[in-house]
Amino acid sequence: MGQGRVARGIALDRQARRGLMLTAPGTLYVALMVLGPAALAVAYSFWTQTYVTLDRTPTLANFREIATDPLYRTLILRSVIVAGLVTFLTVLLAYPVAYYIAFHVYRRKALWLLLVSIPFWTSYLLRVFSWKLVLGYNGVLNSALIWLGVIDKPLEWILFDVNAVVLTLTHAWAPFAILPIFVSLEKIDRSLLEAAKDLGEGPFRAFFRVVLPLSMPGVIGATLIIFIPTVGDYVTPALVGGSEGAMVANLIQVQFGKANNWPLGAALAICAMLCVTIAALAAAALLRFLGRRIR
Amino acid sequence: MRRTMKGIALAAVLCGSAGSGSAGDLSVFDWAGYDDEGFFGAYVQKYGGPPAFSFYADEEEAFNKLQAGFSADIAHPCIGSVFKWRDAGLLKPIDATKISDWNSILPQISALKEVQSDGKVWMVPFEWGNTGLVIRTDKVDEATANLQLFADPSMAGRVSIPDGVEDAYLLAALATGVTDWAAMTPEDVTKASDFLRAVHKNVRFYWTDSGQLTAAMTSGEIDMAWAWNDAEVTLIGEDIPAKMIRRDDVGIASWVCGYVHLASGTTPDEEVYDFLNSTLSVDSGKYILETWGYAHSNAKAFKAADQELMASYGYSDLDAFIARSMFATTLKPEIRDQMIKEFERIKAGF
Repeated sequence: MGQGRVARGIALDRQARRGLMLTAPGTLYVALMVLGPAALAVAYSFWTQTYVTLDRTPTLANFREIATDPLYRTLILRSVIVAGLVTFLTVLLAYPVAYYIAFHVYRRKALWLLLVSIPFWTSYLLRVFSWKLVLGYNGVLNSALIWLGVIDKPLEWILFDVNAVVLTLTHAWAPFAILPIFVSLEKIDRSLLEAAKDLGEGPFRAFFRVVLPLSMPGVIGATLIIFIPTVGDYVTPALVGGSEGAMVANLIQVQFGKANNWPLGAALAICAMLCVTIAALAAAALLRFLGRRIR
Repeated sequence: MRRTMKGIALAAVLCGSAGSGSAGDLSVFDWAGYDDEGFFGAYVQKYGGPPAFSFYADEEEAFNKLQAGFSADIAHPCIGSVFKWRDAGLLKPIDATKISDWNSILPQISALKEVQSDGKVWMVPFEWGNTGLVIRTDKVDEATANLQLFADPSMAGRVSIPDGVEDAYLLAALATGVTDWAAMTPEDVTKASDFLRAVHKNVRFYWTDSGQLTAAMTSGEIDMAWAWNDAEVTLIGEDIPAKMIRRDDVGIASWVCGYVHLASGTTPDEEVYDFLNSTLSVDSGKYILETWGYAHSNAKAFKAADQELMASYGYSDLDAFIARSMFATTLKPEIRDQMIKEFERIKAGF
């Protein structure tokens, strides 16, 4: 009996070991590549830079500076607003596309989804750069408007502005919103729609009371997928934002580069992460609440 | 100061290091675009190929990378950074007796304390150049153009200045009457910041590479810029009526960059000094003067180069030219920090 228990113990261990072995690479990778740097960022944020060396005495000075200086507040707030606007516009534009593919395309759905993913075939950087060419002083848009006789001098406000950042990001992230919304729409049981119809609901009421609430998980997913990375987007504001469109990531980059003040950069990154977490949780909670209210 | 002549900073960052077909053992950590074999022809001849290059887009990036443990034999900072690199223990002193053209270096440049101080040589100066007022002569009146014009409401949306703290403050220092860059006080910086704040209202964009700047000047998007020599050379090459104003009453700034021997380097000194000597040679100087429009530190190179070209770049009377130019020497660390901080605020509209 004693032996039997030992044998079973080993058998369980073997299974557990296999499980461990399967999950180990992923866990290790995350620990090394995500948790490690994050821990380092936290540590750095309590240090101070003095000329060429680091002063490792813990201090809250970096956070105090961020809290009291309106520059940082403005940039973090601007980043959250830009990302919020981008998320809202993207989801708004993506929903009808996803809806159409889910409910009105019967054949070759895979082809439609492939079409949606086409922008992904070009690198993100190139897509952002193309917008610079489109919106530029002698760009496609200005040349076209001049050719049409709508304007006689190139419009200057369309590039190097917050608008350009919002426009570019909205275009770049559209497929990320379409796919999760499509999946949640596709999962909706079609008999529920029939039931709504049988019970006398018009198409609008059926949409708002049945389809929209049931697709909320997809909308929330899309919101988070877009909001979180766009708050910290660096390339787009750097290329098309100009000085008016700079966002918090650009300021963080300056601290790690030109300003050579890693501790302040780390503290800024942590503050930005906190703001993103709070804003994302709030957005998700709000959407969930709205989804319930409609029903 | 960044001088990404070909506007390939981004490409360089993406590529990281591009050591190809190197013959010797030497590794050079350099600005993107400086792997031009015209700069070190003698080295290529002796070793049968160029050294292995790694690139950076700005000096702080280079500094951070070196401090994080990246090693190379030679790097290429400008005088504003040399002391910082030295203080961080990144540099080895250079033996000037092994530099054959040492005595031909322009005396005003070899006398810079960043080049040699306390009896030690830290850098072999290679190239220098100007940051100055470049205008489209068909859009801005050359006779009345001056630095104050950057802040003039009539120039709204028509100017561009560099997205570099040092370059921007050189403009502001000259415009606010500072005469000694290295002796700037916090009050001077505040005054300069006020000027930059006024300029910010007119700035179309802060340029990050010369390609972006010359494209905007060519198209007429901007009419005036605070820019490096190569912008002028490029624009003239494209038959654009542009000019760097070198009049006495309009200020002009100069930067000096050169090669340093890194403490992390392991290649034998002979090869290191062969490379240093080749960059300082008259041939390399003539090449950079004529094709890049940058000045060289070897006085003899100016005589070997095309004289008409030298006159158009303002180099025919070098002594007078150098005397009225403000050199971007080392700032006190706290002054530099103040500038960095305030420049970010100004760019964000504060």
